[in-house]
Amino acid sequence: MRRASGGVRHTSRLSNAPRTPHVAAVPRESTLAFSGFTSLIRLTMSAAIEVHELVKTFKRRAQPEVRAVDGLSFEVQRGAIFGLLGPNGAGKTTTIRILTTLAQPTSGRASIMGHDVARHPLEVRKRIGVVIQESAAELFLSVRDNLLTFARFYGVSGPAARQRAEGIMEEFGLAPEASRKAQDLSGGFRRRVQVAKMFMVDTPVMFLDEFSTGMDPILKRAVMERLRQEARKGRTIVLTTQIISEAEELCDEILIVNAGKQIARGDLNALKLLSAGVYELSLTFDKLPAGIEAELAARHPIRLHISGNTVEVALKEEEENVLRLVHELGQRGHVLRVEVSGASLEDIFVELTQRARGGSAE
Amino acid sequence: MLAMRISALLAVLNREMKIRATNLTFIFWDVAYPLAYLMVFGVAMEKAMGFTVPGVDVDYNAFFLAGVLGMASFAIASNTAWSFFMDRDNGIFYEMLTYPMSRGEYLFGKVLFNIVVALVQALITVVLAGLLLGIPLTLSRIPLLFAAVSLGTAGWFFFYAIFALKMRRNDAFNTVTSIFYFVFLFASSMFYPLDPLPPLFRIFGYANPITWHVDVLRYATIGLGDPGTILLESCAFIAFGLVAFRVAIHALRNQE
Repeated sequence: MRRASGGVRHTSRLSNAPRTPHVAAVPRESTLAFSGFTSLIRLTMSAAIEVHELVKTFKRRAQPEVRAVDGLSFEVQRGAIFGLLGPNGAGKTTTIRILTTLAQPTSGRASIMGHDVARHPLEVRKRIGVVIQESAAELFLSVRDNLLTFARFYGVSGPAARQRAEGIMEEFGLAPEASRKAQDLSGGFRRRVQVAKMFMVDTPVMFLDEFSTGMDPILKRAVMERLRQEARKGRTIVLTTQIISEAEELCDEILIVNAGKQIARGDLNALKLLSAGVYELSLTFDKLPAGIEAELAARHPIRLHISGNTVEVALKEEEENVLRLVHELGQRGHVLRVEVSGASLEDIFVELTQRARGGSAE
Repeated sequence: MLAMRISALLAVLNREMKIRATNLTFIFWDVAYPLAYLMVFGVAMEKAMGFTVPGVDVDYNAFFLAGVLGMASFAIASNTAWSFFMDRDNGIFYEMLTYPMSRGEYLFGKVLFNIVVALVQALITVVLAGLLLGIPLTLSRIPLLFAAVSLGTAGWFFFYAIFALKMRRNDAFNTVTSIFYFVFLFASSMFYPLDPLPPLFRIFGYANPITWHVDVLRYATIGLGDPGTILLESCAFIAFGLVAFRVAIHALRNQE
C-alpha cells in the first residue's frame, strides 16, 4: 500500500490528518531554532508528560553498572500519540516503568500532568492507564469481571461500569467470551482483555508497552482506530513497539532511543529529513541474476533482502545514483516489477540505530 | 482523600473476594479448618493422652482453642502472601502497582478480605467449640478476640509479605514458610504452656511473636493469663506488625 510500482515516490503517513496542533518536532538540539520561544512556551504549558535528563542505572553484583536510561529529555503534548522506539534493551520499557511509577529514576525528573513521578506517585497513578509488556490478566476471573474489577480501582462501578463493559466487550470481540475465565482464553484473547481494560476508564494518559503482541491484524487495526479516537478526545497515548509500521501509522511524534540515549525525535517527516537520501528498491525478476546479492552487498546497503526472485534493498544514495542502479539492474535480467520509494520509518530506525552504534550519532 | 483511600481499599477487597469466590471449596475450608483441627487434633490429644494442661488447670481442648485460632491467622497470612507469586505469574502484579492506590492501601486492601475470613472463621470456631466441646468462653472478651484475630492476621501477612516480595521464586518462599511453621509454631505457647519447658526453649518461646498473639487469643477466649502480661504482649505484637508493615511497604516500593 505504501509503495507504488514503477516510479519514484515519497512515502507519507497512512494515518488520518494530524490530530492535534503540533509543534514541528525535530531532533532535540534543533527545537529552539525551529520552533522559537513562543512555541517552546506553548509546548511546556500543554505538555502531558515532561521528562528531563532522566537517568536509570542498575547495579548487578560483580558486574559493571548498566545505564538503562541515560539522560533522556522529552515532552509529550496532551492529546498526542507518542511512540517510543528502539532496539531490544534500548531503555524503552525502563523509561515506561519510571513514568508509570514502577521504578524510581536514579536522577533527573519526570512528571505526568504536572505531577512528579517520584515525589507524587499516587497522583500520577490516578492519571494513567497502563498496558504492561507482559500479558496481565486476572486468570481466575471472567472476562467481564476482569473489566469491572479493573474499573473499580478507578472509581468506575455500578450500572455505568457494567454498561460500559458490555460495549467494550462487543467492540473487542469479547462478548461471546464474557463469562469465560481468562485462564481458559488463548494468549491473544488475554491480551485483548488487557487492552480493552484501558477503555473502561478515562485516565488522561495511557501507556501501551507492545500493546499489539498476539493480536490479529483485524483487531489490531480496530484498536489503532480506537486509539486515534481517544487521542482526538484529548487522551495522551505513549506506546512502545517493535513493529515500526504501527508507530508510522499511529504516532504524532516518535522518539528513537538506543542504549538509553535519545538518537532522534520528531514527527515522521522530521525524522525522514534526518535520513534524507535513503531509498527503498524492490525488483522482481523472472529469474534472479547470478551474483546480484554480492553486487548489491558491495554497496553497503542499510538493508538487503532477497526472497525468491525478488530483491529488496534500502540504500543511502544520491537520487541519480539510485535511478542509475535501477537501470543497471534492469540490464541484468527481465524485470517483472519495480518499486522505488523513499525511506520508511524502518529504514530510518535501522540507519539511526546503526549510526549510533558506530559512534557517529547526531 | 479519605474517600479515595476507602475506595482503593474496597477495590482491592472486591478483587480478592471475587478471586476467592471462584472456588467455594476454598471458602469452606477457610472457614472450617480451625474447627476441624481442634476437633481432630485437640480432641485426640485430650482423649488419647488424657491430660489437663499442667499449671493452668484447664482441659486441653480449651487450652488449644486459642492455638488453632492463632494457627489459622498464621496460615491465612501465609496463603495471602503467597498470592503475590500467583499475581506475578499472571502478570497482573506489576499492572496493579500502576493502579491508583498507594502501596500501603494495596497491602491493607489485600489483607482486609482475609481478616473478614479470619473473623468468620474465629466466630464459627468459638461458638461450635463452646457447643460441641463445652469450652467455657468469656463472652465479654469477644471484641478483644476479634481485635486479636484481625491484628494477628494483618501482622503475620505483613511479615510474610516481606519475604514474598523480596523473593523471586515461590519454591524458595515455600521453604521459608515451612521453616517458619516449624520454628514459630512449635517454639511457642500454641500447643503447650511454656513454663515447664527447658530454659532456652522457654526464652525463645517468650520472644516469639506467635506466643504474644496466642496468649492474647487465650485470654480473650477462656480468660487465661495475667492482664498486665497480656497488655505487654499486645503492645509487642502491634509493634511487630507495624515494623513488618513498614518493611513490607519498602519491599513493595522496590519492585523493580
